[in-house]
Amino acid sequence: MKIKKRMRGTNLGELEELVLLAVAALNDNAYAVTVKSEIEEKADRTLNISAVHTSLYRLEDKGFLESEVGGATNTRGGKSKRLFKVTAYGFKVLREAQELKQSFWKVIPQLSAEK
Amino acid sequence: MKSPSTAITKLLKLIIADEIFDEVHGDLTELYFDRAENIGQKKAQWHYFIDVLSSVRNLRLRRKLKYYNPTVMYKNYFKITFRNLLKHKGYSFINIFGLALGMSACMLILLFVNNELSFDGFHEKKANIYRLDEVQSFGAVSDQKVALSMYPMGPNLMADYPEIIDFTRFWSMGRTLIKYNDQAHYTEKMVRVDTSFLKMFDFKLLEGNRYAVFDEPNNIILSESLAKRIFGNENPIGELIKMADNEDNQLKVVGIFSDVPDNSHLQFEALLSTKLWDSENRRNGWGSNYLNTYLQLANNADPAALEAKFDDFLVKYMDEEALDYYSLFLQPLNDVHLGSMDITHDYNNHKKFARSSVNIFSLLAFFVLLIASINFMNLSTARATTRSREVGVRKSIGAFKQQITVQFIMESVVFSVIALLIAFGLCYAALNPLNAIIDRDLSISLFFQLEYLILILVVVLAIGLLSGLYPALVMAGFNPVLALKGGVTKSGKSYFRNALVVFQYALAIAIIIGTVLATEQLNFMQRMDLGFDKEQVVAISMYGDTNTKYELLQTELRNQSEIIDVTATSQRLGNNLHQTSMQYRADTALIDGSSSFVSVDDNFIDFYKIEVVQGRALDKSFAEDLAGRSFLVNETLAKELASSGSEVLGMPFHFGGADTLGTVVGIVKDFSYNKLNLKVEPLFMSKQPWGWDEVNIRLKGDKLQEGLQQIEAVWTSLFPQRPFEYEFLDKHFDTMYQSEQQLTKIISVLSGLAIVIASLGLFGLASFTVKQRLKEMGIRKVLGASVGQIVMILSKKFTMLVFMAFVVAAPITYYLMNDWLAGYANKISIGLGIFLLVGIGSWLIALLTVSFQSYRVARSNPVETLRIE
Repeated sequence: MKIKKRMRGTNLGELEELVLLAVAALNDNAYAVTVKSEIEEKADRTLNISAVHTSLYRLEDKGFLESEVGGATNTRGGKSKRLFKVTAYGFKVLREAQELKQSFWKVIPQLSAEK
Repeated sequence: MKSPSTAITKLLKLIIADEIFDEVHGDLTELYFDRAENIGQKKAQWHYFIDVLSSVRNLRLRRKLKYYNPTVMYKNYFKITFRNLLKHKGYSFINIFGLALGMSACMLILLFVNNELSFDGFHEKKANIYRLDEVQSFGAVSDQKVALSMYPMGPNLMADYPEIIDFTRFWSMGRTLIKYNDQAHYTEKMVRVDTSFLKMFDFKLLEGNRYAVFDEPNNIILSESLAKRIFGNENPIGELIKMADNEDNQLKVVGIFSDVPDNSHLQFEALLSTKLWDSENRRNGWGSNYLNTYLQLANNADPAALEAKFDDFLVKYMDEEALDYYSLFLQPLNDVHLGSMDITHDYNNHKKFARSSVNIFSLLAFFVLLIASINFMNLSTARATTRSREVGVRKSIGAFKQQITVQFIMESVVFSVIALLIAFGLCYAALNPLNAIIDRDLSISLFFQLEYLILILVVVLAIGLLSGLYPALVMAGFNPVLALKGGVTKSGKSYFRNALVVFQYALAIAIIIGTVLATEQLNFMQRMDLGFDKEQVVAISMYGDTNTKYELLQTELRNQSEIIDVTATSQRLGNNLHQTSMQYRADTALIDGSSSFVSVDDNFIDFYKIEVVQGRALDKSFAEDLAGRSFLVNETLAKELASSGSEVLGMPFHFGGADTLGTVVGIVKDFSYNKLNLKVEPLFMSKQPWGWDEVNIRLKGDKLQEGLQQIEAVWTSLFPQRPFEYEFLDKHFDTMYQSEQQLTKIISVLSGLAIVIASLGLFGLASFTVKQRLKEMGIRKVLGASVGQIVMILSKKFTMLVFMAFVVAAPITYYLMNDWLAGYANKISIGLGIFLLVGIGSWLIALLTVSFQSYRVARSNPVETLRIE
């Protein structure tokens, strides 16, 4: 039940936001393995593939991502992959998160002074 | 390069949901190969294992089907359901019609049972109203419960015990002639009650004041239909009417009540106050039981505690000895209709019925429905195999197991709903004949009350769901590859189906044996030698005015050519005769006792051809006989009298507190004046000068109509004021067994239904089994098997099933029926013959059913059967 509760609303978790951004960045080649390596590379942290799975499917559930089944390759043991794409709604939410952060940045004095 | 370990992959398969397993597995495999290249296979294997383990967090991960539109699928299911229904018309008919039969039987029984349980339910105070009954124990007579009480009991009980809030007596006058403007009308049920009657019971009063209708002693209130009969369209209120027996009494109509509903155990057409009959004598009339008393207790009163005080009450008003003869008990109002089978002298208990019969009905209805449901399930499962291809196709297109299950359960629910609609139609058609058989006024409208409609729908859905569950699971479990190849037609694995067939046949056999035995018992009782001759006897009621001319009537009638003899009696044979107290002298002691008693004309014994064992019959040449001082006793009473040690013949004897002792002059053989399920009780007879309740006339056998015309001519010439009405005595005896007859009729119909439904199921099942073995039979035929041999082979299995059903059913039925018969004083013995007959009969029915199918196959051209596929 806990999972369902967290699914409500448009709130993005930190990892979810990263995953969403990674999918957007990967552009047409976003599936669990590439998303994982993208985040590991950019954020310099290790991630377990299962955590990526959780986030991807949950984001799809929320309507931020859409997916289709892509081609199978030999390196995958002949299994197909699920390719994800950010939906318009997903982009909107990403932008809103960005704006939210921006609005905070604008009013934080020290940082504006540093500029 | 080596692939990741299959054992670990299996673990992953357990963790991850089927629908996303492929992609997740693919991701993990890709990672594995990446790592294997970078850090070596061993480490990669280890990481793979860790990945799988940490995937436990995704145990509940499902992909929501984005473009899944269930209504489309449901539409498809419906479409397929109806296509299948039409494609296999015969099968669908058997399946649905069998279920509809079972349902309608069950629903009709539901109506009946509901009607029985609704008796006396419309009185608001029903929970606090009790009928006061007695247990009488006199001498050698076994204790008997009687629905009688004494006139003074009600008022004195109420005066003595504060927990009794109110009482009313119900004192029937029987058939009464009432006159208005010199127009005479009979009323069947005129009843004297206390003023509180309408306060306790909620009979609907249309006109008049509920609380004041009996303020004057000569007030009377009439039922709507009686008022219409007497007054037509005039306003009856305030009109005066007279009772023909007592012209002085002018009765004033002060109220009209709507006709008493059929589901009331109390029935009446006119109500009067007891005040008109009240007298000092009656108020002290302890010891005479002739009416019913109803008590209303306070809300918090404990009936058991009150009953415990009744002994003191009897001692207070009668004497210590009263306890030897009487004890009192309370019968809750809602128990009167269904719980009075062991209570005799129960004159005011309309359509009294046995609760055990209601239970038998309910049980039978349940069993018939069960048989029908099993059928339904069996046929659906058998059918499943023929639809394996459809399941195969659905599965390979992507149907989940659960969807297949839902589809087939839905199909069976749709079928059962169709069956319900047909069942409504069947009920509607069957209701009128049923009402005629059981003498009830059941209405189908009950089903459309919300609570019953919900109940019916829930049961029907449950039937659809449960009987659809097994076939649905079987189908959903098909391996799509095998299903498509058509290889799922395993015929060996039908133990479950066979067990169901055995079960339903066992039920049907048990029900039929039970029915046959019950019917035999009833016929046995009706045909038994009663000990007197009741053929061609006409009974005519007598009244105060007709009694004055009895001698003349008798002489005139005897002069008629078609009449053999005429006698008279105070009570009709076949009714439960009234009891009275009696005294007899043994040595010097005067001993008290009680016995049934009937006052008869002196030629009565001769008239009814009752055998005199000792002494003599009554004779008008003896003055004592005519004066009512000579008594005849039956053997049962003679045994009781003899137990005092004195000679019975010539024993001083009298009854009802008479002053002079008479003598016992004869002993007659016991004859069954009661219903035959009761034992013959002590009885004495004498001729008393009180006038008769009815004359009995024996006609010559051949010209009954002429005889009746002669009686009518004599009657109307003597009593022009009295309409001529009569009843044949043997018909009267038949009506005594009416409730048993109704019972056996309904049970017969139900048991017929049971075997029909069971056979329908067998028929359907047989046709599928036969179809499955078409090829085999073709080959056998080619190799030279004869038609007979093939029919044998196909029927063998079903013979076994019916035999097993018989073995299961016979002992249980024997045990149960033995138990039931124990309740009858005169009973048949259960013979082996019936069991064999029913067993062989049901086997033949099964064989016939199966043979019809197998014969068709056996006759068919093997080329046709072998060409299939």
